[in-house]
Amino acid sequence: MVRGRASGPSPYPTRAAQAGRALGAVFVVLVFVPPLLLLVAGSLHRPGLPPAPRPRLVPDPLSTQAYADAFAVGGLARATVNSLLVAVFAVPLSVLVASLAGFALARLRGRIVGAVVALTLLALMVPTTALLVPRFALFRSLNLTDTLVPLVAPALIATSPLYVLVYFLAFRALPAELYDACRIEDLTPLRTWWRVGLPLVRPVTAAVAALSFVTTWSNLLDPLVYLYDRGRYTLPLALRSLSTLDKHDFPVLLAGAVVATIPALVTFALAQRRFLHHHE
Amino acid sequence: MRQRALALILALLAAVPLAACGGNAPATSGGGPVRLLLNGAPDELAAYRQLADAYRKATGGSMQLVEASDRGDLITKLSTSIAGGSPPDAFLMNYRFYGQFAAKDAIEPLDDRMSRSSVIRKADYYPAPMEAFRWKGRQLCLPQNVSSLAVYYNRDLFRKYGVAEPRPGWTWNDLVSTAGRMTVDASGRPVRGGESEGGAGKVAVYGLGIEPSMIRLAPFVWSNGGDIVDNPQHPTRLTLDTPEAREALRNLIDLRQAYGVVPSDQEVEAEDDESRFANGRLAMLMSSRRVTTMFRSITAFEWDVASLPIYDRAVNILHSDAYCVTRASRNKDATWRFLEYAFGPEGQRIMAATGRTVPSHMEVSRSPAFLGPAQPPRSARVFLDAVANIRQLPTVSTWPEIEDVTGGILENALYRGDKLDDVIRQLDEQTRPLFARAETP
Repeated sequence: MVRGRASGPSPYPTRAAQAGRALGAVFVVLVFVPPLLLLVAGSLHRPGLPPAPRPRLVPDPLSTQAYADAFAVGGLARATVNSLLVAVFAVPLSVLVASLAGFALARLRGRIVGAVVALTLLALMVPTTALLVPRFALFRSLNLTDTLVPLVAPALIATSPLYVLVYFLAFRALPAELYDACRIEDLTPLRTWWRVGLPLVRPVTAAVAALSFVTTWSNLLDPLVYLYDRGRYTLPLALRSLSTLDKHDFPVLLAGAVVATIPALVTFALAQRRFLHHHE
Repeated sequence: MRQRALALILALLAAVPLAACGGNAPATSGGGPVRLLLNGAPDELAAYRQLADAYRKATGGSMQLVEASDRGDLITKLSTSIAGGSPPDAFLMNYRFYGQFAAKDAIEPLDDRMSRSSVIRKADYYPAPMEAFRWKGRQLCLPQNVSSLAVYYNRDLFRKYGVAEPRPGWTWNDLVSTAGRMTVDASGRPVRGGESEGGAGKVAVYGLGIEPSMIRLAPFVWSNGGDIVDNPQHPTRLTLDTPEAREALRNLIDLRQAYGVVPSDQEVEAEDDESRFANGRLAMLMSSRRVTTMFRSITAFEWDVASLPIYDRAVNILHSDAYCVTRASRNKDATWRFLEYAFGPEGQRIMAATGRTVPSHMEVSRSPAFLGPAQPPRSARVFLDAVANIRQLPTVSTWPEIEDVTGGILENALYRGDKLDDVIRQLDEQTRPLFARAETP
């Protein structure tokens, strides 16, 4: 089922729009690629040498020792597994809950929608640190500190109210006739969400999944507070630990950063192929 | 379809605890392993793991290290766990920062246990760091080290430019003139770093690296006969407006503004002082024992340490970290047994091997474990000689905030050349409210 378009501008981009997109892409590449290149180049310096006063794109001597040290000193292998484990559960759960909540909100009528949206916005404005101690006390009373559960648990409430709002706006933008047709076809709300709503907001799902992955992947505060055992540390904590190495060993930190960046890049590439291209 | 969606949700919910990898350590450690919260670089943490292993082997005791990376992380973790009712059994902290926890009565006094101990004798330890961890007359924590400031210098550069190496008892003026002679261009000609002369780009080697902070300024104020606060035990304000303190502060600022012997802020941002020293482009660096491990990997030149220069009298500043037991620990006896080991000679020997610490145990500090000639610095005794003249900063509960505030102002003074009167006024105005709400020891 696709959303029809009776009239309006052509769905095909004009030449000017295409040129604008290309320019935008070049700009993004120019802004983001040099730091990535420097990151990779820095990680290929041999650790233990005095830091170079100026960054060098081609290290001399070229060495992969920093990667070996990052895994040995920083416990990167275990940390990567832990981070992946958290992301594997937290991201789909977060998308699932956010999309369900957003859909339910879009189907509500009257003043209650305004009230719920206002409450969601209010929740969005509460600083994370304000909830740190109550959440710690909660997980402690459940005997769940020093496990990965507190890192996944926020996904049960969609991780962030923002994701719920994004889905709410996306589902609300679908034509009301579509929902009427589903009702006539005797589709249950859950079926309408799964069979009709979700396929039509695929790009939103890609965006929320990507955002949720980034939030989960780079979450430093929760692991810092809830985890005690080094064997359960996630990548941000491992990287944080590498950042305290002496200046001579900065390539080790950069190697750790490269390792932490790769899964994020792969996820974005997959999300883009799976969701955005499919939609087009 | 509905069943499939529900099954998916339930599967995810059911799988979450599996993802938690078991673990499930008890929220409180009553009867479990002793949990010690500490921070440090990976090599430093590795030394503590070695200490924990040695403790397990020696006593059969159970031990878990809770590792944070830096002080900020440690304080976040400690504060949250104390407020949440499940703190670690012990933690390691610098005397400048433990006041905030002492003020909240979150630390267990150790006097009784010390007096009953057959392992720990107070007389075996340097008194200055012990005193720094006394709060309202009670010994709250046990200091593992007694570091101080020293001048690290590149011996090869001094030989190359024919400048005499620092000697014991050298003065501030000696420091400035030595730094001036060691600030040279690529051809070895003395130059002055400073934008007004257009000379900043010409400097190949700077004479001195010093951090513009209260912990660097204080020993020179003391050495000049002044003080940094009105009452060290119950301070209500900074006293940098006295003639002695003004002179010390002005001289610190002049290092950049008048003599150009320290790198500019842009240069420090591009390459910090420790890296510049390691690269052989900084002749002297004022720092604590902390940088020794990094400098031990230098192979390109020979380096050593010298005592701090003086004004009227020899004074140094205490740098010390201690083991503190949390009041809410449910494992205090086992924690104390670990402390007896770590604070005792055996534990201090293990930590001295890292090169980072100056042992607070007098006998260990004078043993080859610390003074051993196998690794630089050759003049490690400088750190022990400094102990006799060591002074501590206030330990009031708001001192961390005071250091943060003063750091920014002093940085502007050194690098931007703010007027001395304005600097002193800002320091006073911005710290008075912090002193006003401070709990004192």
